[in-house]
Amino acid sequence: MITLILKNFLRSNSVKIGVLFLLLSGIISLFVGKQFMAKQKQSVAETAQYQQKHIADNVKNHKDEMGLLLYYLKFSLVNNTLPINALSIGQRDVNPSIQSVTIRGLEAQKYDADLNNPYNLLLGNIDFSFVLIFLFPLIIIAFTYNIISEEKESGTWKIVVIQSRSPFSFIFQLFSVRFLVVLLVLFVTLFMGCIFLAIPLDSAFLTYLLVSILYILFWFGVCFWVASLHKSSNFNAVILLSIWIFLIIILPASINNFLVNKYPTPEALETTLKQRKGYHEKWDTDKQATVDKFFAHYPQFKKFKMPEGDFNWLWYYAMQQMGDDESAKQSKELREKLDKRNELSANIAQFIPTLHLQIQLNEIAKSGLTNQLLFLDEVTYFHEKNRLYFYPKIFSEAPVSSEKWEKFKVQTFTEESSLNYTKIFFPLMVFIGIFIGLGYMNFRIKKS
Amino acid sequence: MNSEILIAKLFIKTAFKNKAVFILTLFIGLLLIYAAFSGWTNFKYQNDMKVKYQEQSRKDWLSNPDKHPHRMAHYGNFAFRSKAPLSVFDFGMESFFGNSIYLEAHKQNTTNFSEAGFSTGMLRFGEISIAMILQVLLPLLIFFLGFSSIASERENGTLKILLSQGLSWKQLILGKSYGLIGVVMTIFIPVMITISLIWITIQGENITVEETLRLLLIIISYFVYLSIFCVIAVLISAISKTSKTALTSLIGLWLMLTIVLPRATQALGKAIYSTPSKVKFESDIDADVVKVGDSHNPDDPYYKSLKDSLLATYKVDSVKKLPFNYGGFQMKEGEKISANIYQKHQKELWNIYYKQNSFSKILAFVNPYMAIKNLSMALSSTDFSSYTEFQEQAEAYRYHVSQEMNELQMKYISNNAKSSAGKSNIIDKKHWEDMHDFQYKPSGIGKVFSNELISILAFLFWIGLLFFLIRLLSKNLKAI
Repeated sequence: MITLILKNFLRSNSVKIGVLFLLLSGIISLFVGKQFMAKQKQSVAETAQYQQKHIADNVKNHKDEMGLLLYYLKFSLVNNTLPINALSIGQRDVNPSIQSVTIRGLEAQKYDADLNNPYNLLLGNIDFSFVLIFLFPLIIIAFTYNIISEEKESGTWKIVVIQSRSPFSFIFQLFSVRFLVVLLVLFVTLFMGCIFLAIPLDSAFLTYLLVSILYILFWFGVCFWVASLHKSSNFNAVILLSIWIFLIIILPASINNFLVNKYPTPEALETTLKQRKGYHEKWDTDKQATVDKFFAHYPQFKKFKMPEGDFNWLWYYAMQQMGDDESAKQSKELREKLDKRNELSANIAQFIPTLHLQIQLNEIAKSGLTNQLLFLDEVTYFHEKNRLYFYPKIFSEAPVSSEKWEKFKVQTFTEESSLNYTKIFFPLMVFIGIFIGLGYMNFRIKKS
Repeated sequence: MNSEILIAKLFIKTAFKNKAVFILTLFIGLLLIYAAFSGWTNFKYQNDMKVKYQEQSRKDWLSNPDKHPHRMAHYGNFAFRSKAPLSVFDFGMESFFGNSIYLEAHKQNTTNFSEAGFSTGMLRFGEISIAMILQVLLPLLIFFLGFSSIASERENGTLKILLSQGLSWKQLILGKSYGLIGVVMTIFIPVMITISLIWITIQGENITVEETLRLLLIIISYFVYLSIFCVIAVLISAISKTSKTALTSLIGLWLMLTIVLPRATQALGKAIYSTPSKVKFESDIDADVVKVGDSHNPDDPYYKSLKDSLLATYKVDSVKKLPFNYGGFQMKEGEKISANIYQKHQKELWNIYYKQNSFSKILAFVNPYMAIKNLSMALSSTDFSSYTEFQEQAEAYRYHVSQEMNELQMKYISNNAKSSAGKSNIIDKKHWEDMHDFQYKPSGIGKVFSNELISILAFLFWIGLLFFLIRLLSKNLKAI
């Protein structure tokens, strides 16, 4: 029986077109991912090359003054892009994956944006997460919206009811065949992706695969439930498309508007203004007071005495430090605000499978806001480490030649946080259970 | 003419009897209210913030005591991007634009703090604005309303009766289209009244002819856009054997036009024209600047010959004897060189972006959705060119301030000054006030016409095409 259903299903032209459409867009998405990865790799390579040249050039130009040299020197930190990132680019195209900072005030450099064409960002990437979240459901809907209604409309449903021992198991088989075909498309695409994009078969990839299967199952659940209402094909098509639009366009967009208005980020502008004032006004205030504040922050440098004269580097870096210190409160508030935004959006997303999937795929691929915030934390840490390394050398006026400058290579940050599997899988399983349960009940009621 | 009106009236009457239509319309209405509300909240908040921080920045600038002018050039200014009145209607690319630039001497900073940079993955699903509802959701509603307009008459057999009673195909198609447009107007007109009211409230008494023209053009172009979809729905319904095929074809078409094609073409543009990485962009500029002259290198030939020619002109043997501050002069020269080189590279980069976007622009001839999207963003000043304009003006202001400070240094600072500290090396703070604050001046509507000529032509093309199709089909369509 099931082979017959499969044959019958695959014979239809629209099914062939649907499968082809999915495969094609899947392949395109893999190319988009590949291109994105290539660009990331190139950026990192160019940064590494640039940093080497940049340091060598400046060491040559400022060989007498450590303080002046460090005024210019930029050190880069790379946010590691995992191969699986190609399957869910997430926020990685908006936010820079490389941040280059001098040891001067951090707050003036931390949020430096990447170069971007806003139109590209507006229309978004066709990465695999897009194909999965947006396009798979459409094909699932196209494959299933008229499963029963079509038979009814053509008059063959009665024959099915009479001939088969259990119409429900017949319906179940119709759905299973379609599910298997869509699943096969998913497997084929991801398998190709694995090879093409050199994605390791690790737990992250398996989680990606599993959550994708659950998502597909969720949409089959929805279609199953709608089929169980025993309405006309046209009604099913309209209602399923409406659900799709609601889950893909209307709800996420409305929630986004809500979040932006609920958690605006004036702290960002506040921070930059504060840090400018904090640093620059020190040029006109008492030097000793500034340096004392600096020593209060870093008591370990108290042993350095401030040299006489109009200008000295201890005072200069103390001023720079004050820019950060005086905007620390605003900066912290900004960080907390973004955490809240991130948390609330993940929490709301649990109730909206499409959003949930996007956010979780980004978590798996380390390309979401969580990753961006952790990277910014790491930039802060990296900057502080450089500062603490160079401060004593500057204050003691160590000769530039005493340093092995070749060792300052580009550093890489790899997010290590582990995934919360319950949070990833559970919400989808609940929804699948609800829709299949409701559908099953409807079919039972109809039967009796 | 009369029979077309009759058909249109009948269509409207039956449409309103349909409960599903009523629910959908109500739902879209509610959504529009939410979009207007959240758009307005965001607009007000963002612009209030912008004013607040621009004032704060100005206050900080003015609070500086007597100082060396170069210190002030480094103190710098901020340019905060403000929203145009019609951005309430169409958010366009705004969420992806940075909101502030720090403007200081020698250095072109990035435009930071875009909404997208602080967004979770959610933004990728889009934003709810009135424009988005009109562009994306209303066409689908039109398709839902119109798919059966003629196909069901064919299925019921009433089509044959209508045509045998002397009604022409053209009258039927036009009549049904008018009817559909009529139904859509029950949403469209209130929306346009609402947006006009919000628009008036936002601007208060400062309504300009320019802005009024923008609003009028938005109303007209959306009317044309929605009408195009009404006619498409009726035409597809006319050529479909059953209403089911009409519905599925229209849904497929809608998905193609609004979801798949826009992303696909932009991806194509992006794949063909690759952009440099940030580090490449910046290091190329550095390299070009050093090629002209390296101001950090004391033996640099460019600056050495510049110095020599100065000494020769003023007939002195040392820069200390020049009638102006030599450091200021040198920095002025350096700023000019680096700013020019930066601008050249920036233009090149924008040119690549422009080429990337050209696919989406040309697509308007295949896809009316792209025509309205581009035109609407341009009219609402939330398009790509509004962004580059903001950056250009901010850079022009940065350059102006830096050079002004260099001039002050040349004029007032002694050549014997060893540093930027000390009484003799500072100038009066009254000069800070002479420096006006950054003020963004949006470009005129003329620019919209030149930038969006393709979109406007695409609309004309679509109108022509649909009239042609109506004529063509009127002759060839069969009743069965």
